[in-house]
Order: sequence, then structure tokens, then C-alpha cells
Amino acid sequence: MTTKLKEVDVVIVGLGWTGGILAKELTEAGLKVVALERGAERSSANDYSLPNIRDELRYVVRHDLMQNTARDTITVRNNPSQDALPMRRLGSFLPGEVVGGSGVHWSGHTWRWTDMEFKIRSNYEERYGKNFIPDDMTIQDWGISYDELEPYYEKFEYTAAVSGKAGNIKGQIQPGGNPFEAPRAREYALPPLTPILASQMFSDAARNAGYHPFPRPSANASQAYTNPDGSKFGACQYCGYCQRFGCEANAKGSPHMTVIPIAMRNPNFELRTHSWVTKVLKDSDGKRVTGVSYTNVLNGEEFEQPANIVLLCAYAINNVHLMLLSGIGAPYDPVAQKGVIGKNYCYQTGAAARLFFEGKYFNPFMSAGGSNATIDDFNINWAFDRAPHNFVGAYNVAGGFNTALPIGYRPVPSGTPQWGSEWKKATAKWYQTAMVINASGSVMANRYNCYDLDPTYRNAFGQPLMRMTFDYKANEHKMGTHAAHVINDIAKSMNPTKLTPAVARTNPWTVVPYQSTHNTGGTIMGTNPRDSALNKYLQSWDAHNLFVVGANVFPHNASYNPTGPVGALAYWTADAIKNRYVKNPGPLVPA
Amino acid sequence: MRSTLRAAATLGLLLLLVAAARADGDAARGEARFQDCAACHKLEAGSNNVGPSLHGLFERKAGALADFRYSPAMKRSGISWTPETLDKFITDPQAMVPANRMPYAGMANASDRADLIAYLQKSSR
Repeated sequence: MTTKLKEVDVVIVGLGWTGGILAKELTEAGLKVVALERGAERSSANDYSLPNIRDELRYVVRHDLMQNTARDTITVRNNPSQDALPMRRLGSFLPGEVVGGSGVHWSGHTWRWTDMEFKIRSNYEERYGKNFIPDDMTIQDWGISYDELEPYYEKFEYTAAVSGKAGNIKGQIQPGGNPFEAPRAREYALPPLTPILASQMFSDAARNAGYHPFPRPSANASQAYTNPDGSKFGACQYCGYCQRFGCEANAKGSPHMTVIPIAMRNPNFELRTHSWVTKVLKDSDGKRVTGVSYTNVLNGEEFEQPANIVLLCAYAINNVHLMLLSGIGAPYDPVAQKGVIGKNYCYQTGAAARLFFEGKYFNPFMSAGGSNATIDDFNINWAFDRAPHNFVGAYNVAGGFNTALPIGYRPVPSGTPQWGSEWKKATAKWYQTAMVINASGSVMANRYNCYDLDPTYRNAFGQPLMRMTFDYKANEHKMGTHAAHVINDIAKSMNPTKLTPAVARTNPWTVVPYQSTHNTGGTIMGTNPRDSALNKYLQSWDAHNLFVVGANVFPHNASYNPTGPVGALAYWTADAIKNRYVKNPGPLVPA
Repeated sequence: MRSTLRAAATLGLLLLLVAAARADGDAARGEARFQDCAACHKLEAGSNNVGPSLHGLFERKAGALADFRYSPAMKRSGISWTPETLDKFITDPQAMVPANRMPYAGMANASDRADLIAYLQKSSR
């Protein structure tokens, strides 16, 4: 039996960064907001404090803050000719399931994506001609510009205590920052983190090679900080437990210690945890949505929550899944190339070299989430000519490490036995001496990389699992090969005792080893309803009171971590709802 | 004997210097220094966060609040909080109470500490 609840102004599905930002902004604007979160409520004081948080088995191996694949997962295949199989254990990516979402266990890397992404098709066609972009590469412009997003990037960076060094303030190149970045109005919220030996050695080598290293901007507070909303941050202690953990020092910008508590103090807000949304409900005319159905996973009770506005703010994969389960928008068909929901799923690629220096002590147990130095010479540097290398996209290269855990981090040179006394000797010998240089690369949209509903496997609620079809294409292989060369040249110039060189990823993609929690696309934003699911305000073209927020709106994936534009777009959408939609409900962009 | 006396004299001089710096503590400046603490500690009675409430700090021993889960190290420390013991503690918390759980590396600057302690003396009451 389903209990129908009283209508509210706004229902938010998923309470991480995007849900938290929208909950805070919309309750402050006077709207009655209910947030439904699958996971439990946890706090810094009770859950992320010492000594319990430093539990590698619980958080890294057993994924305590992540989605439970016994209840719902995805099926995976590399191409449409294969049968997809369920991912029964998390591997390649780690969606969060807790109040705060993946914003609790992220590392904090916060980038500004620029017009190089937002105008990608126009840029490449203008410079290289239409034939440069392969026929099956379904990249498209996003319908938004960097200038529109700039103030919202800043708002997110100041909220999340992003520490970094500006490279371009209002067109003036700043020494020590990233000279390729788009102009920003002012400096970062905080100065950059203290570099570690590995990032310093990488910076020196990169500079000697003629590149432009800079400290990676990260939401790891380099000093104690109070953000514009009054949320208090401690200083990062370089404890080494960042990625996959909540922060013990309240130093990592996370929604559970910034926007969410502010919303919680507002009488307009209500949070319901352990609430699993199974469907978005449509009006009989199909032009609006009327609310959501959800199940309390603790006791199985089912509810209908009517709402004037529905905001999907779950993890990127789950937002797309809900759209497909609810039948909103036309599902994408990769063969006919029709429909939009599920289109342009993208991931990231990369390559990494490991360098061993006898006699060096890197102290890998001490680092922040963003203790890397980075170069963008092959990334947002448009002067880097892609034509001779024949690929679309970009990669950044970084040196250092972020989270090198005492049990799992066992760097040994290639050729070392994988167990036994030889391995033990090697891990003792090399533990202190290793560092990594790695590239993170973009993945361009491809017509065959997509999501749909699996025809065979179902979740705990009897609903079809999401099916992911993905593989790296020739474009990504070529870019990876280029990146591996650049990494290996820098690595060799540093004269390591031993080097495990970088190799491009050219084997079929597999869901097993961890790669990155940077899944994008599926309900993409764009300029028209034929090519995209959402307009530039992340409003559904099909139902004007439905907004879908998160990395699922990106039409392709860049080399950068996605959280910068995810946070900025959440603030951007909040403004569009507060300032325009509420006053005059309807499509914010004519179809 | 003489060396003990000299050591005592040196120690006395040191304490005097520390005390002198402390007497100079400026509570207004100390409020800004408290930003280092504020992400985890509150000044209101009964409001424990990641760290224990600092209300009434100078009237109690370390590890004394019944409703906060202290580390065994802090409970065993036997410290009575005074401006002097707090100064020593926040200089390098792990040096004074090894294995305590406060994730804070310490405040190196003596006059910053003096300002902070002046602020706490005023605002923890």
C-alpha cells in the first residue's frame, strides 16, 4: 500500500553536493523542500572522527560510504554485440550512498571547465574542419559559456574552501598559477597546499622540459577558514586519509559540513534518509511531473511524495536510471541514433608511470587529497596542435600522490613477485622511494557508448538494472599513446633508479580495477530537444518542472575532475529556479 | 647542585618569558586565532562537536567531560587546564600528550598562542 503524502514545493532526490546546494538555496528563497536520500545520516563528530575513520578495511575494501551493489547495481558490456553482466562488486567507480553523497569521500580536486569543452564541436570544426571529428563521435556544444558560469564557479570554490593559485585574474597571467586557465575574477579562497617532495620533483622536471607546472586546486583547506555562509573549516593536516574517507579535521569541503547543515536549520527543510526513489511520476498530459514514489528501505513502506518541482540530484548514473525507469524523454537508441536519454555516456582514460628513487624518502603516508603538481600544456592549452596527433580532447599530467594507504599502497618495481618473501623484501625496500606521474584524459562521446535498461537483470525493487555500454575508441587510444610519451620523457629526465613506464590504455575497458568516479552524460544539456535531454538550466525539455543536476548533464567528459562544474551548475540552476522559474513556471528556454 | 640551580634558574627565566608573552595576549586578536579551533570546538556549554566543548575549560582537568569520547591518552594525561598547560599543549599537542586524537599540528608562534589563550580565558567562562 502506498501512502500519499502532502504536497511540497520541491522534492530533491539525493542529498550530496548538488542536492545540498539546491536545498540550501531554495529553502532560503522560502520554498518548502523535502530531500530523499537512500543512505544514512552521518556526521563529522560521530562518524568521521579519529580513530574510527582511519579504517582501510571498512572504507576502502568494504566500501562503507558507497552504494550497496546487493541492492542495485549496473550491468556492463563493451559494445552492443555483447551480453551485459551485472557488476556485483564496486570497482572502477565508487558512487557514494550517505547524506553528503560522494562529496564525503572525494579528494577535493576542483577545476573550472572552460569554453574548450562548452564549445567543443564549434572549436574543432573551426580550427581543423568538419572532417577532423570522426562520424561516430557525437560531441556537441553544451549551450552554456564560461562567462556565464564564472561567478558560480567562484561561489562553489569559496563554499568548498578550494586552495590554489590563480593563473589568470581578469586576463592578467599570475606567476605560479596555471597560465592556461580561463580568466577568474579573483584569487582562490585559500592559498595552495604545502607541496610534497614528489610534487616538487615533478614541478622541477616539468619546468626544465618547458612546461608550466602549478599546484592542483583542491577543496582541502590549506589553513583554517570560514566560508561565506559561516561554515567553519579546520586546516588540512596532510593525514593521507582523504579519498574514500570523511575528513577527520573538517578540512575537506564537503556538503555534510557546509550546505546541508544550513538547510537542516531552516524550518522549510525536511530530510528523509533511507528513502529510495523508484520513479518520477508524470502528469496525465505528460508535460509536467507530479512528484516521486519512494520506499523506506528500513521497513519497506512505500510513499508518494507530490511536489511542484522535482530535482534529480542523485549520483550521475542513478539520475539517468530514474529518467529511464520513469519513461521521461525518449530513450536513446545507438543503432538508429534516435532519442536522448542514455546518450553520450563518457568516462575518463589515463596512463601512469611509477618512479623509484633509491635514497629518497617520500613519506607517502603524508599528503592531502590534492597534493599534486599539474601541467595543462596538453590540456586546456589550445595552442597545442592536435592535428599531427589526430585526436580530439586533452589530458593533464600530474606528479605526486593523494591518498597512499598504509596497507594497500605497496609500490614495487615491475618484475617483483606478487607474493612471498621476495615481495615482502621489495615492499620494505621501495615503500619510501616511489612516486607517480600520471595523466588523466578526456573521453569523447561516441554513438555506441550509452546507457539503457537491461533486458535481463533486476534490482531489489524488481526494476531493470541500468545497462552501461562503454569502451575506449581509437581517439582515446591515440591520446593515451601521446600522454604516455610525455609522461615517460619527463620521468626519464628525473633519472629514477627504476622506472615502470606509462602505457596507453588500449585494451577493452573493464569495470574491475578502480579508475575514477567520473561518470558523465546520459541526460545531457544542450541547445535543442532533438540532441539533448535538458536545456542550459538543466531543465527537462519534456517536463518543465523537472531539473536533473550532476555530471550526467555533461555532453562529453574532459580530462579534469567533474566536481567544479557540478557544483557551479547546481548554483546556476538554483538561481534560475529562484529568480525565474518560481515567478513564471514554464520552459526557461523555448524548445 | 650548582647545575641543578642553574637549570632551575634557566627554567624560571623561560617560564617568566613565556608568562610575559602570555600577559601580552590580546583577546581581540585571539578571536581570529580561534578560527584554527572553531571547525571542531564550540564555546557554549554542552555543545560537543568533533572536539569537546571548551566552556569552562580552565576549571577542569583534561578528559573530564562525561559526554565526550576522549582518547585514552587524553584521559590518562592528568593535565589540569591552565594558561600554562594549554600553552604547552597547543604548541605541539602530540609532544605533550602522545596519541591524543586532536587532528591539529600545533600553533608555533608564541604570541599567537598568548592571544588565543587570552581569548579563551575570556570567552570560555
